[in-house]
Amino acid sequence: MERSFVKEIESLRLGAGDTFYGEGILAVTKALLQSGVTYVGGYQGAPVSHLIDVMVQAKNDMAELGVHVEPCTNEASAAAMLGASIMYPVRGAVTWKSIVGTNVAADALSNLASPGVTGGALIIIGEDYGEGASVIQERTHSYAMKSALWLMDPRPELTNIVNCVEKSFELSEASNTPVMMELRIRACHLQGSFIAKDNVAPDISSRKLLSEPAAFNYDFLSHPPVTYAHEKRKYDERMPAARDFIVKNSLNELSEGRHEDVGIIVQGGIYNALMRAMTELGLVDVDGNCDLPLLTLNVVYPLVPNQIIDFAKEKKAVLVIEEGQPAYIEHEVASLLMQAGVNVFLSGKDVLPMAGEYTSETLLDAVGKFLRQHQPALGNQLGDQAYAAEIEELRKTATKKLGAPVPPRPPGFCTGCPERPFFAALKLVEQEIGKVHYSADIGCHSFATFPPFGFGNSILGFGMSLASGAGVRSFQKRRPLAVMGDGGFWHNGLLSGVASRLLNDGDGVLVIMKNGYTSATGTQELISSPGSTAKLRAAEQSATSGDQTIEDALMGVGVQWLRTVHTYRVSEMRSTLKEAFNSTFDGLKVIVAEGECQLERQRRIKPIRAKALAAGERVQSTRFGIDEDTCTGDHSCIRLSGCPTLTVKTSTDPLKTDPVAHVTAGCVGCGLCGEVAHAATLCPSFWQADIVSHPSRYERFKATIARIFTGVPAV
Amino acid sequence: MNVSMENDRPLRILILALGGEGGGVLMNWVVAAGRRAGYAVQASSVPGVAQRTGATSYYIEVAKANDARAAALALVPMPGRVDVVIASELMETARAMERGFVSPDLTTLITSSSRVYATAEKLAMTDGRYDSDAVADAAQALAKSLHMIDLSALAQDHDTFISATMFGALAGSGALPWSTDDCRRVMGEGRGAEANKSGFDAASKAVVSGGAPPTANLPPSPSPALLLPSDLNLSAVSEELASIAAHGYDLTVDFQDAEYGRLYLSRLQRLMAAADTNDHTARHALTEAARRLALWMAYEDVARVADLKTRPERFRKIADEVGLQPGQVLTVTEYLKPQAEEIAAILPVKFGQWVRRHVSTGGQLPFVGEGRYLKSTGVWGYWMLRTVAVLKRIRRKSLRFQEEQATIAIWLDAMEKALPASTAFAGALAELPRVLKGYSDTQARGQKAFGSIMSQIVLPASAAGRIADAAGDLRIAIAAALSDPEHRKLADALPHPINPTAEARSSEAAYAG
Repeated sequence: MERSFVKEIESLRLGAGDTFYGEGILAVTKALLQSGVTYVGGYQGAPVSHLIDVMVQAKNDMAELGVHVEPCTNEASAAAMLGASIMYPVRGAVTWKSIVGTNVAADALSNLASPGVTGGALIIIGEDYGEGASVIQERTHSYAMKSALWLMDPRPELTNIVNCVEKSFELSEASNTPVMMELRIRACHLQGSFIAKDNVAPDISSRKLLSEPAAFNYDFLSHPPVTYAHEKRKYDERMPAARDFIVKNSLNELSEGRHEDVGIIVQGGIYNALMRAMTELGLVDVDGNCDLPLLTLNVVYPLVPNQIIDFAKEKKAVLVIEEGQPAYIEHEVASLLMQAGVNVFLSGKDVLPMAGEYTSETLLDAVGKFLRQHQPALGNQLGDQAYAAEIEELRKTATKKLGAPVPPRPPGFCTGCPERPFFAALKLVEQEIGKVHYSADIGCHSFATFPPFGFGNSILGFGMSLASGAGVRSFQKRRPLAVMGDGGFWHNGLLSGVASRLLNDGDGVLVIMKNGYTSATGTQELISSPGSTAKLRAAEQSATSGDQTIEDALMGVGVQWLRTVHTYRVSEMRSTLKEAFNSTFDGLKVIVAEGECQLERQRRIKPIRAKALAAGERVQSTRFGIDEDTCTGDHSCIRLSGCPTLTVKTSTDPLKTDPVAHVTAGCVGCGLCGEVAHAATLCPSFWQADIVSHPSRYERFKATIARIFTGVPAV
Repeated sequence: MNVSMENDRPLRILILALGGEGGGVLMNWVVAAGRRAGYAVQASSVPGVAQRTGATSYYIEVAKANDARAAALALVPMPGRVDVVIASELMETARAMERGFVSPDLTTLITSSSRVYATAEKLAMTDGRYDSDAVADAAQALAKSLHMIDLSALAQDHDTFISATMFGALAGSGALPWSTDDCRRVMGEGRGAEANKSGFDAASKAVVSGGAPPTANLPPSPSPALLLPSDLNLSAVSEELASIAAHGYDLTVDFQDAEYGRLYLSRLQRLMAAADTNDHTARHALTEAARRLALWMAYEDVARVADLKTRPERFRKIADEVGLQPGQVLTVTEYLKPQAEEIAAILPVKFGQWVRRHVSTGGQLPFVGEGRYLKSTGVWGYWMLRTVAVLKRIRRKSLRFQEEQATIAIWLDAMEKALPASTAFAGALAELPRVLKGYSDTQARGQKAFGSIMSQIVLPASAAGRIADAAGDLRIAIAAALSDPEHRKLADALPHPINPTAEARSSEAAYAG
């Protein structure tokens, strides 16, 4: 795992009255323990990876409390885990990244929501929306509505978030319905504090076993005929119970304001951005009170009709601030008010942008428009237009002075990443045989969509690359290629891709990046991750070559053309790829591109080296460099690599106007530069330096001989 | 103390860094120091997958502990309302300014003057680097106060990470409402922490003392005065030309011998005689021609590469670059893959032509086309290379030498005609040899571009006597040739398809005719 959570685990042990300092997602983790959960599961993905990571690392502490922790193989298995709370009065929580994770979990969620739950069930949703998001921009809200799951969107402040977690379990139990809690990216990473409570050991757990399973009860199965009754119960019983609970526990926050004619209904998650906009507009007093009445929805589904009607009925106009599309809340508020005969102007997407993150700047503009329209006496005094003009001026000045737009800086492969050589090889193959249709996938390898590689004709989801090429083969002259990671392979690719292709005797080329972990989300473990003995044995080498789980699985389902190639053997990879594209074998051809995640490898190497160096043992380190004199500044090498440490610098030769290629001290000596220089017949400028500390006697002798017979002094 | 906090507003700090630089570490230090000093601090970030070397940002708000509004600190920075912007890299500062986060009314801007080039900048076949001077200029105009120092070099000097020097610069800037000591105390103990603190102190001091002038991206310092034969008074034309010519002379002598250097100068003199040196556009064309001619004449063949790779100063440079310590043993391995064409190039014309014919009809050659790993620090490898370097002696008779001189002659003739007729055209033509770059495929590509531009633009325009009109086309074609390796843009810029066999040699006939 990429990050160590030793300190965070300590804060999970805090007791009543202690102050917890830390990240939002860890505060949620602590809140789960304070709520007495029996089991926790989930599938990693930003921004909620840390919840799973910390739980996995704290497994011993969890076991002490009797909490079962399970990193699942995908979101569907995480959602299905909540089935434990259907019949048993046990609390459970799972987590994943949304919208993608919720899509994968949808089947289990529907079947969970139908019978409902006895014990509190909570799904922590990392709502990956807005700046920094890495997935398609859709809302989880739809799932809550279609399955009748309750959805929390807490105001992003740790005390409130923790309270919402605890109340979610109670809400879930009071209404027999699973609850989802969406946390936006910045809320997950929010550094704040709250006063902790003691952890609660669950009454039923791995430490307090039930002697008998639950009695058979057809009502708890999502199977006809009871599904008809479930649907009625959802809206006749569970939803009213939930609304009742929401009101009684004041989950939504109502605040009065001087200007009673207007009001704002806002999703809890947007509250802070709104308050900053209101402050800028001069509509917040020193005590932090807003001059406008506010209804802050910590629970965004279901809405409580009476709460909405009461808030709106004496007003001239109400603004609903709801991020994303479709505007479900706005629509529901509209129909509620209309049915209740409340004559109020409802504003929302008419003044707010249709899509995108609602930042303070956006909200300032919207509130300004809203107030000028409906409270002109106030609206005309606001500084929103002056602010907009000021910012426009700042941006204009910058643009003018900078002279050119700032180039983008998307994420890319790490220094020494074993996936980069594969894409260099593929680029070389395409130079020979022409472009091939490339079905891309989710994972680190999707960075190959960015320069210098620019690979990918489609991305259809995690582990879906091979499946997404199924229709393409039928009308392509050249064989299409699908690339997926080992993470994607185990998440979905084996079944949706490989098995499906074999069932149909389909042709095609699949490359599986075997780097050993789900690396993009923080190097979590897979079923095929190298074990600790394999890692120990591998030492500085790639630890993934020994594990055959992927190859065994492929052969087990009937793959006949299978090659495993270490990614750093660029020439071999190139010829294997060519073989796959040109082979007369009609069927699925799979290349396992093996090379351990460099982050994991470096983490292992560092202590080994430090220890050896301290003990005076022989340690060899390698790095690459470039002869400035022979580099002509064409940068072909960079176009085949994109390594962060392979960069450019101004030539010291005043005749050369173009910068020369240069390798920075961050080079980890992965060897790609040399391999590519060879495979692509680039240029002779690369050199490899092997530096041996504490050399053996023989090495010292050899060096002396070389010094004498070459006359080269420095070495 | 900062204006914002005096006015009872939270202090708003935006950190900009690249994934893997420790921006999160810096954020956590600021949060811990603030809490330690009794403030309410909130922070957030959008790392996501940007952690993998992409641009990342972290945002912190600090309020007085008793501030009722602390419960609603913002998670996202608001343009024009950020008190402190601190960036690990200059182009990220540009990005912050582009997005409106730096305001002259409010913002203390602390930026490292160092650059980490983005892939988009590095890919260019020429110089794709973003203009650092423009960023510095914009920063001067937009920041309320600006601290621009090389925080990356400072970090390296103190064997630590840029997060530590950024923290030091932030503390030293006086923008934080608590003391430098409060900052130091949250940096922990132990060996790593000591290095961090030493970097922190250095950066803090650098900021307090007004900051050292940025060292990154300065033009290379001129080499020691190079002597030209005394009968040439180039300084009378321009100092720049004199300097370029001196370097050019030096390079050509180093490449072959003094006679070759004199050949360079006599070629240059020919061009000078054709130019009106009082015209600054002519002087510019001359200077560019002097530069390109020298680099062209000192083309890289196997003898040249082997020679450069076995010079004592090269090994010293490598030892320096890898930070070789006494007692360590260094082995340098060269990645060589000699091609038949490169062998042909260094052989005497007849042999070279035979090799070309032999290979083009499917013949094989020993030792060719295989990747070789040669230990240039070893006895065998070193002397292998020295043996190849000695081929310099037969270079004048070699196939490539003859071919290059012939092409140079064509170009020189065209230059000589162009200089008095159109300095705009001559200026562009002087730059044309810039497309000749690299080795093997890259070299062939450059020669193809050169030949195509010569035969399709330069020679027709010259023959028709309308070179002044063709100056624009020539410039566009050169830029196109250098814009993508597949020559897609060049194909668009030329009137006819790119010459299949290419090279100016094919245009020799056109010239002769």
